Amino acid sequence: MSTHPDSLTIDWESSAPFQSVELSLDQCIKCNICVTKCPVSAVTDLFPGPKFEGPQAGRFRQINQPTPDQSVDYCSGCRVCNMACPTGVKIAEINARARARLVEAGKISIKRRLRNNIIARSELLGKVGQPLSTLANAALSSPIVRKVIEAGLDIHQKAPLPAFAKYRFSSWFRQHDPPKGLTRKVVYFHGCSTEYYEPHVGRAAVHVLEANGFEVIVPPQNCCSLPLLSNGEFRAARKYHNQNIQHLLPYTNQSIPIVGTSTSCTLTLKEEAPELLGMNNQEARLVAQNVFDINEFLLGLLDEGILNYDLKPLPFTMVYHAPCQYRAHRLGKPALEIMKLIPKLELLDSHADCCGIAGTYGYKVEKYQISMDVGHSLFEFVRKANGPITICDSETCRWQITHATQTPTVHPIELLSAAYGYEPEGPLADILE
Amino acid sequence: MRKLQTEVLVIGGGATGTGVFRDSAMRGFKAILVEKRDLSHGTTGRYHGLLHSGGRYAVKDPHAAKECIAENLILRRIMPQCIEDTGGFFVLTPWDDPNYVPLFFKGCQIASIPIEEIPTTLMLKNEPLLNPYIQRCFRVPDAAADSFLATELNVESGKQYGGQSLTYHEVIELIKSGDKIVGARCRDLIKDEEVQIQADMTVNASGAWAGKLSSTVGILVQILPGKGTMVAMNHRVVNTVINRCKMPSDGDIIVPIHTVAVIGTTDVRVSDPDNFAIEPWEIQLMFEEGKKLIPGLESMRLLRAWAGVRPLYQETQTSQSRDISRAYVLLDHEERDGIKGLITITSGKWTTYRLMAQAAVDLVCQKVGVQRSCRTHLEPLPGDVEQGYHYLGKRFAQVEAKADYGELICECELVTQAEVIQSITDGEAKTIDDVRRDTRLGMGPCQGGFCTYRIAGLLNRLHHPPIEEINVSLRDFLQERWKGLLPLLFGQQLRQERLDELIYLSLLNTDHLPGPKISSLSPDMYDIPKEEEQLPPNKEAVKTHRLEPYKLAEPINTFIGPQTDVIIIGAGLAGLTAAWKVSEAGLKVHVLTKGWGATHWHTGCVDVLGYHPIVNQYPVESPINALAQLIEGQSHHPYAICGPSTIREAIDAIKNLFIESGYPLRGTLKTNWLLPSSLGSIRPTCLAPETMIAGDLRRKDPMLIVGFEGLLDFYPGIIADNLVEQGFLAREVMLDLISLRKRHFTYTSTLSRLFETADFQAEVVEALKPKIGNANRVGFPAVLGIENPMGVLKFLQGSLDCEIFEIPTLPPSLPGIRMHNILVKAIESAGGSVLEGIEVLDAEFKHNHVNTVRSEAAARYKPHRAKSYILATGGILGGGTVGYLDGSIREAIFDLPISTPIKRLKWFKRDFFDHLGHPIFQCGIEVDEEFHPLDRYGGIIYRNLYATGNSLGYCDAIRERSFDGIALATGYAVADHVINQ
Repeated sequence: MSTHPDSLTIDWESSAPFQSVELSLDQCIKCNICVTKCPVSAVTDLFPGPKFEGPQAGRFRQINQPTPDQSVDYCSGCRVCNMACPTGVKIAEINARARARLVEAGKISIKRRLRNNIIARSELLGKVGQPLSTLANAALSSPIVRKVIEAGLDIHQKAPLPAFAKYRFSSWFRQHDPPKGLTRKVVYFHGCSTEYYEPHVGRAAVHVLEANGFEVIVPPQNCCSLPLLSNGEFRAARKYHNQNIQHLLPYTNQSIPIVGTSTSCTLTLKEEAPELLGMNNQEARLVAQNVFDINEFLLGLLDEGILNYDLKPLPFTMVYHAPCQYRAHRLGKPALEIMKLIPKLELLDSHADCCGIAGTYGYKVEKYQISMDVGHSLFEFVRKANGPITICDSETCRWQITHATQTPTVHPIELLSAAYGYEPEGPLADILE
Repeated sequence: MRKLQTEVLVIGGGATGTGVFRDSAMRGFKAILVEKRDLSHGTTGRYHGLLHSGGRYAVKDPHAAKECIAENLILRRIMPQCIEDTGGFFVLTPWDDPNYVPLFFKGCQIASIPIEEIPTTLMLKNEPLLNPYIQRCFRVPDAAADSFLATELNVESGKQYGGQSLTYHEVIELIKSGDKIVGARCRDLIKDEEVQIQADMTVNASGAWAGKLSSTVGILVQILPGKGTMVAMNHRVVNTVINRCKMPSDGDIIVPIHTVAVIGTTDVRVSDPDNFAIEPWEIQLMFEEGKKLIPGLESMRLLRAWAGVRPLYQETQTSQSRDISRAYVLLDHEERDGIKGLITITSGKWTTYRLMAQAAVDLVCQKVGVQRSCRTHLEPLPGDVEQGYHYLGKRFAQVEAKADYGELICECELVTQAEVIQSITDGEAKTIDDVRRDTRLGMGPCQGGFCTYRIAGLLNRLHHPPIEEINVSLRDFLQERWKGLLPLLFGQQLRQERLDELIYLSLLNTDHLPGPKISSLSPDMYDIPKEEEQLPPNKEAVKTHRLEPYKLAEPINTFIGPQTDVIIIGAGLAGLTAAWKVSEAGLKVHVLTKGWGATHWHTGCVDVLGYHPIVNQYPVESPINALAQLIEGQSHHPYAICGPSTIREAIDAIKNLFIESGYPLRGTLKTNWLLPSSLGSIRPTCLAPETMIAGDLRRKDPMLIVGFEGLLDFYPGIIADNLVEQGFLAREVMLDLISLRKRHFTYTSTLSRLFETADFQAEVVEALKPKIGNANRVGFPAVLGIENPMGVLKFLQGSLDCEIFEIPTLPPSLPGIRMHNILVKAIESAGGSVLEGIEVLDAEFKHNHVNTVRSEAAARYKPHRAKSYILATGGILGGGTVGYLDGSIREAIFDLPISTPIKRLKWFKRDFFDHLGHPIFQCGIEVDEEFHPLDRYGGIIYRNLYATGNSLGYCDAIRERSFDGIALATGYAVADHVINQ
């Protein structure tokens, strides 16, 4: 033997993702804290809870073994269990990987899988639907059309489908004239919702970044792949993530940070995609480490002492809901800390665990009611607060809150942009008039 | 005395004995099987579960190899339900001699063992955790076998053919008449009576005990018991049997069996099959060898260890017991010793048990002069042969198919209520441990932590035996689990054990239940290891213990911005109390917590001091007096550091807060409440929420205890029976509610949500009202809502016209969650924040100050900066202190020194319930009077760092029943020092 066996070192990087998810079940001490926190098993007995599905079932669900699961598909992936777990079991990730195996094993019916593949392809939907926005919006707001869609595709007729925007964010950006004197650079990852549904969120983000002296770069980009990941469609997700790495790598190589307004996109790039897909190469790591939620980024500027404090007062009282996907960044609530800098703005923290929508979960006919029940306490809070507007970082959560409470819901960056003196758009414009 | 008569008497309820029993019954003999304990109690139930392909013997013992592969194929046919077709790999690691390979390959071919070499890439695809430096891999038809089930089915088959099986019948001696053995004198251990069995032929199949047995009639059969120690991993790290491709030796095999993977084994000659120890070096060896197959094994969780004794027969002296032929031994004592009527079948291995049985019964036929041929290889064992091999997910699939989520008695191993009931009523289970062998109950990660309570409750419901019997069988089972945990409690399994202690001591007070401490059926313990442990601290193991697969990126910001005043790490009662008090004083506080704390596990009461000194059988009457004594006698104790006045202030402060919150805590330091536990034991506590105090056992008025059909975490029967046993007036009632009947599961948290709805309250009142009878007060499980328990309480009291009280249940603790919520709300309204899901990993220091602490945040570190830091991460239970296999104990974040480090062998006492507690749990951080952690020389380490709660040393709060009191008092006291700084 040329080398002594004891001197061999193992390349752990290559097998680490498997370790980090499945092996984390070893940490479970069965204490049931996750069970008390799970918002889904609180409202339906189709889902026996995170302990059952995660660390417990995980012992019966080894690789190259038949998949015995059914109920794990009811996990919404909100990660509330992970956040409460005192021992560090990656419950939601164990569940996500179990669902991917259900898909792989053909245990999801063809109809449901087709449905999942439609609602999880937000980029494709946007590309097709946005150019026909007037027609598509009219059709999708018709109850009859929605009934037909429900019958054909199992997408619940009441679920809050967003309206396509009149223009794409990226086309606006191409024509956008940045102010002079910008010294630092930042990449903006807009995600599908900003591109096709809410371009005003992207405009606000660009304004805020520019107000802080950043030249904003918007490279070509694809869907972050989260909807596919949460539907167990790992193969397609891997393709998207690989493409995004290629898009973003040139900038991370120059140490240009990547910021996003969609908390789920940023979390996916940071952690979900590489971890769930087992993509642990150098490139994926580099991109992951350079992605920031926009308020996390601004908080960093505050720490550095270079944040632009020139903020106009906004004399309103509003509910802020930190989405579960945002809390899962394990940063606390950076948006809350940034918004606190806006004079006279009074914020009521919802303290709610989850709005229920969980990405594509609440769109499904079999899960719509569960999702509405999960969000119930948040909706009550919003209704009672009776503010002019609700603030929430995540797009599907905004749509869900608006759907359930009929109050307009905006991204924190829109408030900040307004406080910097940019003209508000969308629902915020009506309030701030 | 009973007398029985039979043709063939088989002694030994292991694989061989039950095989002989079945075979002789099938050949038309009248047969009786006797076993001194439960079936599979001996070596059969303590092996790794390998169905040999014969590959292991291909070079060393070609004859055994041939027998193995032949039997392997037969057993796959007759008992597929006992076999999981895992396949086996023989792998050549860098530590193995490549010259063994051609010998091995040839040996397999000669023995007709199907063998193929597969590329190591394919091997890694199948088994990604295997060492990527493995050079060659050969696939053979090894498999995993459920020896418990196989033994049971052999007996069932034997019974179908007219045989009779007697467990818990210990043979005292063989009966000799002239030159013939005519049967055996036995003792029925359950009925405690003698049983005499007359037999034409007696078959000694008692394995390692064969020598002991034959010595009762003066026949020398020399059995060399070879002890083999095995270790089970918490989950299946491999799904194929993995063998090292080399001459068989210690620690060279991993067998995936059911939910675990077993690393085996050692081979040590012992003098007595009943008395041997599991030595630390054996565990260490298993670890070291296991790491060669699975790198990173040291960071995975070990479940438990056990040892069995191989019955190796010896006619001549041999030094190494593994070198003795593994082929079986059949002794014809007429020929060998001139004694008729007795044959001995021993040695061999599980895989060839059927063949051994066949040979033994062939000899029986010959002896009695009949010719009947064996059919055990032709006829399948009873059960689902059609369904094919067992597979790992089978139980899970069954639970899913019936949505039996709410039926699980043992959640770890997915054992349903129906399976347990079947084992108790139809089966022959006499103890909880017998149920375990039938069902795998208690064999998972928590090692009986949750299911022991449930099965005790269920046993009581089913049989209603004298309550003391239930109590002692419960204690016996916990002791049985403890036995296998002792050799390898460290890391997460140690933390699990501490949670189990919290449940069975502090929450259920099992050690003070009526009845004997142990029964005659309690497990035999392993001996105390003789060898002093002298292992060098393993730095590598310490480093990799935390699952940290990625290198986290450094934060990009060079300057860390505005400091907060105080960062508190940990959100148990200590951390939250400190945070509340500090934020009330106007300081800005962030609580950072990985997850929720011990409030969610305990009773929701404040135990200040329940037993003092802890050996005392009777609870403390007046905590304040006992505290004075304790402080006087134990100057390092956290209470002594706080001082009595601070303790008093803390108690007053929390009472005020809870009154303001509309959920009063009642009680004073002058007297302890005596409240019923979920087992019906008497639990001393200082402060109890108003929802619990009507359960006070200083009162004697009659009680009714209410349970809910479908809720597996609360058994009113066992509570009432134990209360009655202790002289109280108590009855039970089980409510069978329609709204619960249609649910797939009812957890305590489910009930607490339901109790917040008017419909459910009404349903409960309607069902309960007619049952109240003469009861003055009604005890519910502690599930009367989270948000407004006082409202629920008042409603029930009004509608039922009697007093209502709650009894704390198994975790999760709803009263504990209320406590947590009130404190968090108080912190937030005082301007502080509590951030969950934030795991603080390490810290940076400047001079003798903590500069920042860093938490994990997806792909990056997140720094947090404050003027002062309070460490409230708890001890071993909270996860703030971690114990390692090498005997080191470490504080997880700052690597603070831990008081009284002791050798691992001295960490534990032999009895789970030892009244002094286990010394390891006295370990903790040593602090000065201001709660600054101290170094080994008594100097302050960091001027702005404080430690509090159960992370402190010099006390075992669970044994003292001071769990919440210590947290509250030290959390309160530390806040004072931080504020005054």
